[in-house]
Amino acid sequence: MTCGQVRKRLSEYMDGELGVRPARALTGHLEACPSCGGRWRSLRTALEALAEAPRLEPREPIAARVLDRLEVESRGPGLALLFRPFWKTRPLIFPSLLPAAALLVVVLAAALALDRDAEPLPTVITRGAEWGPTGPSGTESNPLFLSSEVSAPRVRTAAPITADLMVALGEEPLFVETVVARDGSVSTVTLLDGDSQQAGPLLEALRRQRFEPGRRNGRPVAVSLYRLISRMEVRPPIT
Amino acid sequence: MAAGDIALRPAEALAGGASLERGLVEECCRGDAQAFARLVALHEGMVFNLAARLLGDAEEARDLAQEVFLQVYRTLGRFEGRSTLKTWIYRIVVNQCRNRRRWWRRRRKDRSRSLETLTRSEEERLAEGSGRMEGPDERVERRERARAVQSALQRLSFGHRAVLLLREVEGLSCEEIAAALALPEGTVKSRLSRARESLRRALTDGKEAAP
Repeated sequence: MTCGQVRKRLSEYMDGELGVRPARALTGHLEACPSCGGRWRSLRTALEALAEAPRLEPREPIAARVLDRLEVESRGPGLALLFRPFWKTRPLIFPSLLPAAALLVVVLAAALALDRDAEPLPTVITRGAEWGPTGPSGTESNPLFLSSEVSAPRVRTAAPITADLMVALGEEPLFVETVVARDGSVSTVTLLDGDSQQAGPLLEALRRQRFEPGRRNGRPVAVSLYRLISRMEVRPPIT
Repeated sequence: MAAGDIALRPAEALAGGASLERGLVEECCRGDAQAFARLVALHEGMVFNLAARLLGDAEEARDLAQEVFLQVYRTLGRFEGRSTLKTWIYRIVVNQCRNRRRWWRRRRKDRSRSLETLTRSEEERLAEGSGRMEGPDERVERRERARAVQSALQRLSFGHRAVLLLREVEGLSCEEIAAALALPEGTVKSRLSRARESLRRALTDGKEAAP
């Protein structure tokens, strides 16, 4: 039996788990080999020291504390009391709300019943488009006014305004807003003042006008033009 | 459950047999506080000693012992009697000690304080004497030896320390240790052999014990 084999089996030897023959051989080796014998003795000393170490005892009985804790646990929910659901902390809140809810329903139903024959509210008509969101400055929905920075559109082609159109206009002048779009067309013609029935054909002629668009910093912009149109009869002097 | 009127019967030894143990367990399962108090009183020394040696901290061991018995109380109904109650409780102690050490490791708890705590507690115990007349030199020597043993134990891995304590201090067989640690018996034997050698080296030449 080699020293390595002996050292590996010292634990089994100590526990008496080796057979008779291996145990005898190991005993013989330990008596003959000072190194293994010394190791065997130091192993026994170490384990004896461990076995003889005083048993540590708790300063006070643990049973009393454990039973105290079990008693506290058995008392009730403890902290859970603080985290109960709302309806458990106030169990009467919902039953007490039921009559109030029923009364509210009755009052609302009565109010609706009494209100049924009332006069209908007058219809309010709003011209939402005029107050709607406007586009960027210089576009057709938000045209610019003439200024030192904005050049005036110039008429490129105009539908002929015949004498008939002017005669139909009557005596009253017209105040007209024309929005000249960025491509030179007329996007809007609005009659601000005047007889709309008489002005209809004239406004249609204005709508067909084409312009050289107004510009700001060299770029075409939509421009709003205000025109006062009136009829003037020119007669030869009476001689 | 009143803590004040516990009727302890220390003479009720574990060697009283399986029937006594079974009867005690049944009484505890029926909610008999007196029976559970007896059960705790019978095992508290063993639980505290093992926990203190495994953790190296008497204060922690006291706290852990309470946790162990609370777990015993809550899970006693699942005890099937395949091993002895003592082996079953050992298993709970070892598992709780392992969990607590993991908890320490995650929080980088300083272990040096723990060792100091145990040494002081141990010295108080040693100061009471061994029950026989001994001179001052003998007492000092015994105290030094106990301190060296605890220091050497702390240098072993947790697994080696558990096997060694269950075998050499608590006197369990390899079969019982296997049941307590949920390990194959062969593994227990090889681990015990390595643990013994590690303790020998730690005590003789003071070198770092192999993990």
